[in-house]
Amino acid sequence: MTDATDLAERAGDRDPRVGLRAVAALRRLLEQLEAVQVRSARNQGWSWQEIATQLGVSRQAVHKKYGRQ
Amino acid sequence: MFERFTKGARAVVTGAVAQAERTASPQVTDEHMLLALLDSEGTRSAFAFASLGILDQRASVEAGLADARRRGGMSSADAAALAEIGIDVGQIVSKVEEAHGPGAMGVGGTAKRGWTSHKKFAPEAKKALEQSLRVALGRGDKEITDGHILLALTARPGVVSDVLADHGGTYGAVERALFGAAG
Repeated sequence: MTDATDLAERAGDRDPRVGLRAVAALRRLLEQLEAVQVRSARNQGWSWQEIATQLGVSRQAVHKKYGRQ
Repeated sequence: MFERFTKGARAVVTGAVAQAERTASPQVTDEHMLLALLDSEGTRSAFAFASLGILDQRASVEAGLADARRRGGMSSADAAALAEIGIDVGQIVSKVEEAHGPGAMGVGGTAKRGWTSHKKFAPEAKKALEQSLRVALGRGDKEITDGHILLALTARPGVVSDVLADHGGTYGAVERALFGAAG
């Protein structure tokens, strides 16, 4: 049995592992999506301030995270 | 730590570097270590791979790693967990690739520094090597072998252990194949 089907079956038992794993995966998914969108915005000439406003964070936070790339 | 590595274990490390170079990866990752282990012949881990039927599934293992990379480091088990809460990762990746090009969500990317030939080990690869030391110590073994590295890869949560588990290489199964039922 694969890990994936194993997990799916346990989900029926409300195994916290599945829910927690989903949260952890979602967090990584969020990071990936953010990186893609920030890169795209920069390529289209957006300023760090404009990106930060849309993300709802400070300019410094965005620049610190993505500025050196 | 490396002075305790056997020849076979050192071959895995140098093999992982070669894998990273072959694929022009910016860093040496735990995925490269797994591929290096799959390449090794006549070693304990090669025996374990053969007895677990993983050697015959090499293409599927590589596909599993590639899929996870395309999903931004998300294993099939991660995708299954997300599906449980109604999130279709495959669809998200497709949409992002539609808008931003193939592989947009992918991990890896560009090299961190210059064109130096000396590749750095990614944090997860370093942690896997540290784990192999702990695995050896935990078993009371004096040397770190390629088998300990393989077992360490199955012990650490992440894409590599998920892909191995998908192909029958769970921690327990690998431990039994490597060291026998007595463990």
